[in-house]
Amino acid sequence: MNNNDRASLAAVRLWVLRLFVMTRKELLQLRRDIPLLLFLIYSFSISVYISGAGISMQLSNASLLVHDGDHSESSRELIHRFREPYFRLEGEVQDPKVGVERLDQGTAMLLLDIPPRFQESISGREPVSLQLQVDTTNAPQGLSAASYAARIVGGFSFDLASVRLGGASAGLMDIPNIESAHRVWYNQNQDETWFQSISHILRMITLFAFLLPAAALVREKEHGTVEQLLVSPVTPLQIMLSKVLAMTLVIQAATALAMATVLKPVFGVPVKGSAALFFLLTALYSFTTAGFGLFAATVTRNQAQVGMVALLVISPMLLLSGIASPFEAMPSWVQSIMALSPLRYYVDVTYGVLLKGVGFDVLWDSILPMALLGGVLFGLGMWRFRKQLE
Amino acid sequence: MGAEHSSQHSALSPQHLDTVVQVSGFVKRYKKHVAVDGVDLTVHKGEIYGLIGPDGSGKSSLMKAIAGVLTYDGGVVEVFETRVDSERAAERIKPRIGFLPQGLGLNLYPELSVEENIDFFADLRLVPDDELAERKAGLLAMTRLERFRDRPMKNLSGGMKQKLGLICALIHEPELAVLDEPTTGVDPVSRRDFWSILAKLMQEKGMTALVSTAYMDEAERFHRLSFLSDGKVLTSGTPTEVRALVPGSVVTFEATSQLKAIDRLKKSFRQVESLGSSLHVFTDTDNRSTARRQIEVALGELTPSAVRVDDPELEDVFVALLLRKTEPTDLSASQPNRAVAHNRDGLAIEADALIRDFGSFRAVDQVSFQVKQGEIFGLLGANGAGKTTVIKMLNGILLPTEGTGRVAGADMRTAAGSIKERIGYMSQAFSLYLDLTVEENIRLFGGIYGLNRRAMAERYEWIVAMAGLSGYESSLTSRLPMGVRQRLALGCALVHDPRVLFLDEPTSGVDPIGRRRFWEMLTRLAREEGVAILITTHHMSEAEHCDKLALMYAGKIVAEGSPADMKSQVETAAGRLFEVVTDQPGKALVYLQQAGFRGAALFGTKLHFFCRDPDRDKTCACRALEESGLSVISVNERPLSLEDVFVYQVMALEQAGERTDQEAVA
Repeated sequence: MNNNDRASLAAVRLWVLRLFVMTRKELLQLRRDIPLLLFLIYSFSISVYISGAGISMQLSNASLLVHDGDHSESSRELIHRFREPYFRLEGEVQDPKVGVERLDQGTAMLLLDIPPRFQESISGREPVSLQLQVDTTNAPQGLSAASYAARIVGGFSFDLASVRLGGASAGLMDIPNIESAHRVWYNQNQDETWFQSISHILRMITLFAFLLPAAALVREKEHGTVEQLLVSPVTPLQIMLSKVLAMTLVIQAATALAMATVLKPVFGVPVKGSAALFFLLTALYSFTTAGFGLFAATVTRNQAQVGMVALLVISPMLLLSGIASPFEAMPSWVQSIMALSPLRYYVDVTYGVLLKGVGFDVLWDSILPMALLGGVLFGLGMWRFRKQLE
Repeated sequence: MGAEHSSQHSALSPQHLDTVVQVSGFVKRYKKHVAVDGVDLTVHKGEIYGLIGPDGSGKSSLMKAIAGVLTYDGGVVEVFETRVDSERAAERIKPRIGFLPQGLGLNLYPELSVEENIDFFADLRLVPDDELAERKAGLLAMTRLERFRDRPMKNLSGGMKQKLGLICALIHEPELAVLDEPTTGVDPVSRRDFWSILAKLMQEKGMTALVSTAYMDEAERFHRLSFLSDGKVLTSGTPTEVRALVPGSVVTFEATSQLKAIDRLKKSFRQVESLGSSLHVFTDTDNRSTARRQIEVALGELTPSAVRVDDPELEDVFVALLLRKTEPTDLSASQPNRAVAHNRDGLAIEADALIRDFGSFRAVDQVSFQVKQGEIFGLLGANGAGKTTVIKMLNGILLPTEGTGRVAGADMRTAAGSIKERIGYMSQAFSLYLDLTVEENIRLFGGIYGLNRRAMAERYEWIVAMAGLSGYESSLTSRLPMGVRQRLALGCALVHDPRVLFLDEPTSGVDPIGRRRFWEMLTRLAREEGVAILITTHHMSEAEHCDKLALMYAGKIVAEGSPADMKSQVETAAGRLFEVVTDQPGKALVYLQQAGFRGAALFGTKLHFFCRDPDRDKTCACRALEESGLSVISVNERPLSLEDVFVYQVMALEQAGERTDQEAVA
């Protein structure tokens, strides 16, 4: 080993040492910020449990009012098919107008109107129609209530038909009946808590990966400590990288906490793929999002402004990246904008590794753009930061 | 209080009989912390009353309570004979008060223009439109802000912001102005401007003012004052009365071996300061020859030269009063041993015709100077004069547009990285991590400068001893008193044993004892270890500590030399400084200005003016005053302060600049 090599080796050692002391400093500072730490722990434990257990997209407890103009056996039979836990029978109204008023007040969600001569029409083989009025101010709930109701009425009609046909000839065999036998993959019990709790963790990772390094950088600007660093041999790259490193570590720990205390023991979410791969990709995602945050920190002057930018940038990311609603259902222009959201790829990666158990060979087309985005964002942030120092 | 002083007092202030503010037994607590502990205060109509004290001494709490914007926990506050004990009472007095909170332009709206700010405050105070136009024109002319009417407040310099703040606080012509540290962070010229505007307003409108300051040398500006420390009044009275509390004299001299002399003197005297190459010692005898003899005895075989004995300044008096309360060991930090000093040969900083442009604006123009190892160099100038840009270039974080420079042996164009490893830098004491402990801060910077474990252990011990930090190692920096924070900041800047140290406004907010201790550390660093120190400061009394000074104006160095050189330059150009005491100082100022004494300025009840030919001009001035019906009580020569130098030089340049502007327009 000649002298040149030795010198450059020492330079590299010094570079790494500086990065290390800066990273340690970030962690020390975070440790002193007790309210923030408590918020972090809450966000990755209790809050994961709340959203996993509390948020449900399935129809439940929809309040149903009935105006029964017939009071026959058939009408009672039909009404009883609207069962709990999906529906809750609020009672009967004598006048359909009263029912509509109740919908207006929001004390009922559905109004089923059964016309007089309902049974008579059925037996008389006349076509008969029912009216169902649905409050769809909460569109997903309303729409699924309507579709459940349609299925119930359809089932009732099918049963009537089969009884009548059964009475006449050789039973059900002759009625054309296609049954769809679906197999549920990846979440066999169709347990919604899995999706909701994982989604929540993704939200929290996004939030903290963006905000923590951004706030740390802006705080240095506010307190003037960045000045002190710049006249020292620490480079702008080390200043920024140390923040990303420290916060990535913290987020990894928090994610592990969420998985160990809530996901696995409470909701029974499996880790089908490689946990190591998951954490590696979480680190990549944190880095990418942190790059985004640091860029935001270079265009703002104080922590309040960073908070505002975070709100502006993160809310569309959270809403449109596929954790709040299916990505495929969005208009194509939104889809193309969201190609710039790192979360959009991380969603695929997370569900892929945790629930489907797939690996790098399948996910590379999500990992690659995420890494690319990270590089570009971090580079942009660096460029802005350097420029500001001029 | 001696009979002589009180008679002088009443002679000077015949109208001082009405009481405007009466405070007794005032107590203010913040949770468990007692910020103000039993303060009594009486402000009479028509006077400037001063509250002097370091940060955290309780000035702001007291002023806010008097202005009716802060509740308090004990005692009585009466303003205009109204007891301020409820929100309703506060609302009654507020229309008659103008309050300027602490902080440059904090009461103003940055996006609004100068005029819009004034109009807003006038509307708030329901000033009628016609009166507003008149007052606004008058105040803008007086503050020389007329040209900037349409400029957004955020684009004003610090001094201009503060003047605008004053206009906005006084636009409704209050009877009482409560001004909280209006001159902090403002350059000496704007500061002097500020005082003359205030004096003029008080004279014209019969206003009363309660003003706080952290600058000890501004104490002379007040008619009466209270010196606060740790929430208590240490002393109060007229400047003359306060001075009489601590009889003594100040001996200034040069000694061959400065550090040795300091060590010897410290055994007998508690106030020993080094000012550049000379020493400044407070003795408690007012007999001048006794004082001189005492020094000679203490020095032993080291013979002093260029000895001068003066009356003590108010700062010396305050320090003496503070020291009475503290243990004698407080001032003498244990000195760590250090074997190797930096090589004193060669230059630490060389700046050669540095130029820096920002777009079409030339921030630094042909700046050249040299600093030797072991020298303390002061860079002075108003905000925006280009000091910071010069320092940034020397620190290797900004490239010069033209010119070259070497710092600690490294070229600033090609070896910025090496410069950063060889220099220490300390800005205001706040630029440390407040949420880390003392030890963590030191180790962080040790790591940044790449110290290995052994070097770190050694330097850590050295810093703790040098900066007197033992006992504080595991305290959070945010909980430290200002003086200790600042010493820690210096320690962190010295962790890698740099050859050159840059200090940017290092002593803001520190009490006088802390400041003196800080300077003692700097002197030792320079003298014993050969560290070159470049410092910028707004405290002109601190500039006296430097070996060499350079004054910057509009990007150029306009004067350079030792403090004594700088003073003699001004004496040659403008004459010697005299102080006159008359019965009506406000009027006297006007007459003196009319008689052609341009540098005339009001200091409390006294006037300062320059005399080119002492005998002739002095008589001329006295005659001008007496012919106008004023009686001259005394005229004495005063030693020129560096603040006088700064103000004189900058004013001369500003006037020259205005003349060329007018010529250009014509």
